[in-house]
This record gives sequence, C-alpha cells and structure tokens, in this order.
Amino acid sequence: MKRIIFITLLIMLLLTSSLAFAADKVEVQFWHAMGGWRIELLQEMANDFMALHPDINVDVQYTGSYGDTINKLNVAIQSNVAPHIVQGYDIATQMLIDGEIAVPMQDLIDADPEFDIGTFMPQVLNYYRVNGKLYCMPFNSSNAVMFYNRTLFEKAGLDPNKPPKTYKELYEYSKMLTTKDDKGNVEQAGVCWNLHCWFFEEFMAKQNAALVDNNNGRTGRPTKAIFNSDAGLKVFNMWNDLSKDGYMINTKVHDWTGSRNLFISQKVAMLITSTSDVALMVKSAEENDFELGSAFMPIPADAETGGVVIGGGSLWIVAGKPEEETKAAWEFVKFMAESAQQIKWHTGTGYFPVRKDAVEDLLAKGYYSESPHNLTTIMQLLLSTQNYNSNGAIIGAFAEVRNAVESNVQKMLNGDMTPEEALAAAEKDCTDAIREYEGL
Amino acid sequence: MKKWTPYFLLVPTFIIIVLFIYIPAGFSLRTSLYRVLPFGRGMQFIAFRNFIRLFSDVDYIYSVKFTIVYVVITVSITILLSFLIATQLIKKVPGVRLFRTLIFAPYAVSPAIAGALWTFMLNPVVGHISYFFQRTFGIQVEWLTSKPHAFYAIVFASVWKILPFDMIFYIASIQNVPGEMLESAKIEGAGVMQRTWKIIFPLVSPITFYLVIMNIVVTMFSSFAIIDVMTKGGPGQFTTNMIYRMYLDGFYFQKQGVASAQSIILIAVMIVVTLIYFKFGERHVHYQ
Repeated sequence: MKRIIFITLLIMLLLTSSLAFAADKVEVQFWHAMGGWRIELLQEMANDFMALHPDINVDVQYTGSYGDTINKLNVAIQSNVAPHIVQGYDIATQMLIDGEIAVPMQDLIDADPEFDIGTFMPQVLNYYRVNGKLYCMPFNSSNAVMFYNRTLFEKAGLDPNKPPKTYKELYEYSKMLTTKDDKGNVEQAGVCWNLHCWFFEEFMAKQNAALVDNNNGRTGRPTKAIFNSDAGLKVFNMWNDLSKDGYMINTKVHDWTGSRNLFISQKVAMLITSTSDVALMVKSAEENDFELGSAFMPIPADAETGGVVIGGGSLWIVAGKPEEETKAAWEFVKFMAESAQQIKWHTGTGYFPVRKDAVEDLLAKGYYSESPHNLTTIMQLLLSTQNYNSNGAIIGAFAEVRNAVESNVQKMLNGDMTPEEALAAAEKDCTDAIREYEGL
Repeated sequence: MKKWTPYFLLVPTFIIIVLFIYIPAGFSLRTSLYRVLPFGRGMQFIAFRNFIRLFSDVDYIYSVKFTIVYVVITVSITILLSFLIATQLIKKVPGVRLFRTLIFAPYAVSPAIAGALWTFMLNPVVGHISYFFQRTFGIQVEWLTSKPHAFYAIVFASVWKILPFDMIFYIASIQNVPGEMLESAKIEGAGVMQRTWKIIFPLVSPITFYLVIMNIVVTMFSSFAIIDVMTKGGPGQFTTNMIYRMYLDGFYFQKQGVASAQSIILIAVMIVVTLIYFKFGERHVHYQ
C-alpha cells in the first residue's frame, strides 16, 4: 500500500512539475546561418529578448551555411521537427514560398496594430515582397561593394581619392597596381572577388539589366534567362580581360575567406565583397597597417544607371505550430527588427540596418562621420535606382542558376570558351534549370 | 536452440544494416522514379524519366567519365606506392618506427581536414607548395582553379590520404613472406627487383586484391569531402565526380528525385565492379 501511494505521489509530482514548466515558458527554436563571432552576437540579442520576455525561451542554433540550413529545414519540415523561426537566404525566397512552409509575415503584420512596416527601407522591402506580399521579415541585408588599399594606390602613383568608376578605369588601375617578378609571376595583383554568381548579378543590376524574363520574375513566374545581352557580355569580357592579363586573381567557387585574405595580406589592391565585411575590413586594415578605402561597384562608362541588389537573409516563421508558439515567435522576430537591435547588428557586422529610423538614429549619433565605409555602403544602396532590375530576380531554381553561371565563367577563365560562348552557354543552362523547376 | 544461436547473435548487426542501409536504399529506389518537390510539397510519378534525363545530360556523362579516370589513376598510384614504401619500411634500420608513425598519420586525419590542409598549402599566393614551385622552378601554378592542375591536386591529396591504410596491410603481409624462400632465391642469384616482383608481389596478391576493392570504394564514395573542400568540383565542373554531382543535385539544388536516381546508378556500378572483380580476381590471385 505504502508503495502505491509513493508511486502515485511521484507521478503527480512529475506531472505537476512538467505542467508548471510548460505553463511557465514557451519554447521557440531559431535556426540561423551566421558563423564566427556572429553566433555570440545573435545569442546575446536572444538573451536580451528573454530578459524582456521571461515567459519565452529562445533556443538559438547555428545550423551551418545558408545552403545547409535550407537542407536541414527541408528534412525537418517533412519529419515535423522544424524550428519556429529560420533564417533563409535571399535566393531561397521563391523556393520557400513555393514550399508553403511559412506563415506569411504580412498576415502577422496586418494582425498586429503596433507594428509599422512603413519604417522599413523600401529597397529592402522591394526585394522580399513577392506579388505584393511580404513573406518573411528582412533581417540581415547586404550588397556588393568595393574596398581598396589606399596605401598601395599611393605606391603605384594613383590618387587614393579617385577609386575606379568604370570598367575601363578598373582595368587600367589594376594594370598599374599589378607587380610581376622577372619571370612574369604575379607578386601583387590589382583586383579580386571570389568566384560567385552573386557578383555577376550585382554587376548586371548596376547596369540596369535583367537576369530573367517577366521583369526578373517579378510580374510573373520566369520562363527563361535573358542575360545574354550587351550588359552581360560587358561583365564577362571585363572579368575575362582582367584575369587573362594577370591583373585579377580568381579564387575557387564561393571562397569568401580566400579573397578576403588576399586583400588583407595586401596581395591584391582592390577587393569586391559583401558589405557585411565592413567591420572585419576596418579591423584588418588597422592590424595590417594599411589605409582602407571604399567605393561603389564600377560600371561600364556607357551603361544605364541601375542599382545594387539586396542580398543576405531574412527570418521566416514556420507554419503549423501551436498558436501560442507562433505568437512567441512573432514577438521575437518583431524584437529582432526593432531599431535598437538593428543598430547593434549593423555595427557588429556591417549588414545594413533594414529600418529608416535606425539609419536616422545612427546619423544623429555621428556614426557615419566616424565610419565612412558604412556610409559608402548605405549610400550605394540609397542612391540605387529602384526598379525590377535592381529589386533582384525571383527564381525558384536560383541555386542551380548560380551554379550554371559559375561553371561557365570558370570555363571561360580557363580558356575553354570565349566570353561570348560562355555567356550563351550559361544562359542556356539557366533556362533549362528554370524550365525544369517550373515544370515547363 | 543451438541451431538458432548464430542467427540470434547476428540480429543486432542485421537490425542496423536493415535500418540504415536497406530501408534507405529502398526509399531511394522509390524516389528515383518520382519528381520530388522540395519541402514535401508533393511527388509526381515519372517512371524512368530521371534516368533518361541523366544519361542524356552532358554534365552527368562527364562526371561518370571523370570518376573512372580519377579512380583508376588514384588506385593504381596508391597500390604501387604503398607496396614500394612498405618494402622499405620492413627493413631493420634505426628510426623506421618513427617513419611508420609519420607516414601513418594522414590516415587519422579526417578527409575534410585533409582537404583544408592541402587547400592552404596549394594556395597560389601564400601556400608552401606554391612557394616551393616558385622558388625552385620559377613557375606560379594556380593549383585548385586551373586545368589540369586541379586534377593533380585532388589525386595527390587522395593518394596521400589512402596510402597509409594500404601500407599497414602491406607491411603486415610482406613480413609474412617466408624468409627461406627469399634466401634461396638470393642464393640462386635473383636480384632485388626479381625478388620483389617475382616473389613478394605475387605472395601478397590476396592483400592487393582486397586493397584494390577497398580503395575503389573509398575513392568513389569518400572523395566527396576532399573535392568539396579543395575544388568544389571546379574549375567549371572539371573535377566533379559522380558523388559530388549527386550532392549538388540532392542537397544544393533540392532535386531529390534526380539525386536518388544517381544513387541507384552508383549502387549498380558498385555491384557490377565487385562481381566482375571477384570473378576475374579469383583466378589471378595466389592464395597461400
């Protein structure tokens, strides 16, 4: 008898404690793809949130690269163990919408009178709005920018206050900045960017050119790639000429670290990379004793004026969770989009603040006069023409499209194809990928 | 009861194999006949269209050809080199144990780390090997981003990684070669070359047979990490082999159906290779 009472009591104790725990805190899982020092930064931000909301517990998990995170999500959704919030990258936007995995952010915004989407930067919203609807919360936005080594510019007899603006200048500057030994080996090269289709996309948008039909997929689903144009050829020719003559060092595919290291170790004088590297570049330039400069992406002298495309990632709230948990997830996403958090994130990394009031606050604090490179990056974005071309393409098969462009660029750089052939082949491969995805 | 004991003992292994190999393989076989949309949005039965597409895809055919070249070259070099090094490492000279340890070290390194190591050493600007080439031969080689150097780099890294495994087996088996046989051969006037190739090599052929199969499996399947870290299949798909192609389709482009079809092809290839080799190999291998 005693034993039975004991066991009943034990079970009751367990039940009440677990119930108490459940009533106490709502568990929210958050998967992100921000490696390095940014893991701690995000954890810190989550801790701040939990201090404000003691009834919510946010479990922050780093799930590898953007691609790995999407992979993990793909499997997790199918086995019902998906997190509440996931950070998706720019090019997965259409695939995630098609997957119908998320509660459209627009619905949550509409239901919450406190929240004003008007404070967000239109450049950022234009990228993530598909068919007029916002599916995710913009979080970490970036685009491509050029850094240059002012010290090496001076050594080569170039004016460090005049970074190259056109492709022609980029070529001439690179030529002057390249030094070779008596055997013709490159000791220092002019320019570098890692072999990534993203730069091709940015170079195209800067010339106000589209990647795919139906207005970059913004007014209808894309059916074919259309970048085999005058603008596309100019980019390929520029890339090929710089590389062929040894004025540019090419890395392997997606080797961000490799290209950064070449610039930091002063082996190349100019680097085109993501604006999210600002903080890192400023620190590295100081450590390696050279003066850092920053400039907009160059364009051909006779090109139409376009703009840069938003890259980076956004936050998605996964559908199919209990209402209470979705509500908690929305609270967290809202918190992360607040001005204070956006400023913390911006100054800690270099990703843009996605809100106008954050920019205003920073301006008032004199932040931009102290950090001229952050000013360059934000100005490049703000001065961008806003249209379908600079809003960026929306393609379901974007990962495959990128791979097709990168493969053909490599074939061109290796001398297997002329720029004309490579561009035509890339366009054809991309069209094939798009048609397969769309089931055409 | 006694009759059932062996089966009973096999159960744990059997459960693991069925759970983690046969069932997933069955799933792959099924999905290979479907067009699978990402995030479980749906599946569409398309019979053998995935396979037909693959075999009319120039890139896939290239990856098959590349795999064959890569496997044949890597395995031949590894077998030959490990045998030769092993014949030296069984000699009783001071410091041989140290050498054995040093040469065995790469085996303990994970393929991804091995890839990262070689990537660093082959970096055209700051890498040690590049520096050596620049100093001694005065040439600057972009090892990982140009043709055909990327291929050499991958083969080199793979050989370096598999070599120790083969060597340990060879050291053990060469030490088992009867000393009298070698001595009498020596008295009969056989030189070092003759003794090595006419006596030792045939006597260790069962081991060679085993190692060739193991090496084919390793180079076909575990080469993924080395390729992913070192070249990402580049430049321009130049070093994309079958396993890397499958990774791209399955985990990068989210095309599960096509990737499943590729895994079925890989399974079929492995079955055929093993069968042919067992049949052909049995006749030429000298078992003691």
